[in-house]
Amino acid sequence: MNCNAAQDRFAEVLDGRLDGAATAEVRAHLASCPDCQREFSALAQTLAELDTLPTPPPGPALRQRFYAMLEEEKNSAASVAAAAARHHRRSRVAFWRWVLAPIAAAALAFGGFYAGARFAPPAPAGLDAATKQELAELRARVDSVGQLVGISLLQQRSTSERLQSVLATLDQKNPDQKVISDLIGSLALDPSTNVRLSALDALYPHANQPIVRSGVLATLPREQNPLVQVAMIDFLVAARDRAAVPELQRLSRSENINQAVRDAAQRGLAQL
Amino acid sequence: MVNSAPAAVDATPDTPSDHELMLAVRDGDLDALGELFERHHGPLFGFLVKLTGQRTAAEDIAQTVFQRMLKYRHTYRDDGSFTAWMYHLGRRCAADHFRRHQAAPAATDPSVLQERADDAPHAADRATVRDDHALLHRALSRLDRDDREVLLLSRFQELSFAEIATILECSAGAAKVRAHRALRQLRDLYFQLQKENLS
Repeated sequence: MNCNAAQDRFAEVLDGRLDGAATAEVRAHLASCPDCQREFSALAQTLAELDTLPTPPPGPALRQRFYAMLEEEKNSAASVAAAAARHHRRSRVAFWRWVLAPIAAAALAFGGFYAGARFAPPAPAGLDAATKQELAELRARVDSVGQLVGISLLQQRSTSERLQSVLATLDQKNPDQKVISDLIGSLALDPSTNVRLSALDALYPHANQPIVRSGVLATLPREQNPLVQVAMIDFLVAARDRAAVPELQRLSRSENINQAVRDAAQRGLAQL
Repeated sequence: MVNSAPAAVDATPDTPSDHELMLAVRDGDLDALGELFERHHGPLFGFLVKLTGQRTAAEDIAQTVFQRMLKYRHTYRDDGSFTAWMYHLGRRCAADHFRRHQAAPAATDPSVLQERADDAPHAADRATVRDDHALLHRALSRLDRDDREVLLLSRFQELSFAEIATILECSAGAAKVRAHRALRQLRDLYFQLQKENLS
């Protein structure tokens, strides 16, 4: 390797981007050439200076100006329009789900009925007691499926719509069991804290019904939000539900639960 | 390669990559740009302050870069490299800045030359180091802007020559040749200034 070829590769050697064999060739030339040694060490010194050049940090104003600009852009007409368009697309999807889900459910039910009518053996003229019980169980199961469909439909609407449907039940003096079950379903399944809290409020007038108390109690261990947990504890204590004692004991002892929830559970235990 | 820039963040289950964040910004999640700002404004500012030799100008240009990211977010490509795009915008914004301030000579801002006290254990050493840094700053400011750019990109920002080529809109081979030529020129200027200082 001559001096020109070696010097052409000095920068790459110093970069560390040249492969091992080529680097070894350059180093071999360097070992025997004082001129190239001077050239190489001058480049190395310049690079070392460049690498130790301090980088001052930016002042705080840069961050403030950036976030001010970001806020402005988020509030600008174009961004708001884009966000609205995204929401519109989402709600269109939700709408079709809302329309198609009941149709699909009805088609399934009809298909089942048709298959049953066509292929099942004809029923004997007189139904015995066992058959009657089976039919009753089947009816109950279909009812609970209907309820689940109702709750899932409830969840496909927006938070404010779900809130309104929960609040609407407050006006009903004697709501039927379906309304009560929907409220317990909302309390157990709704993703919005506000809807769950409203559902609990709507259940207060019916706290005398065992199904309401046991529904709230069954939902309590799954609830994660401390606000709703405390509200549920207050509900069960107000309803004087002694069945809640073991769950309240568990909550008051649990280490990884919010302090406010543990305090509420302890207060509740004292009152029960 | 020594550099002061953090490596581009790779995606893990908890932290999205720079590229994923920028795609989210493009799709309308503007808050994702906040995370990108936090990750990259320091190195970008470092690049710009060395390029311009002026703190205030570097801050103004960095601000403009993030402004343009927002404005031109729709042009960010699916196969893009976020850092390459950022320095590409940085280079353009700096060029605009230089065009606007062409009449005014670019003086080195003394605050750029400040050092952290704990870097230098001895007063005499500290003076020497500061002198060397001041000399290097002067040498850098005498380089052509294109040469300064390619040198800073290849030395400080942990970019491959392929990425630098994207930023400079040339081939990777050409980017490499330019970086090495710039280094040799910087060395000549630096040693020339040292000689002038001694005489």
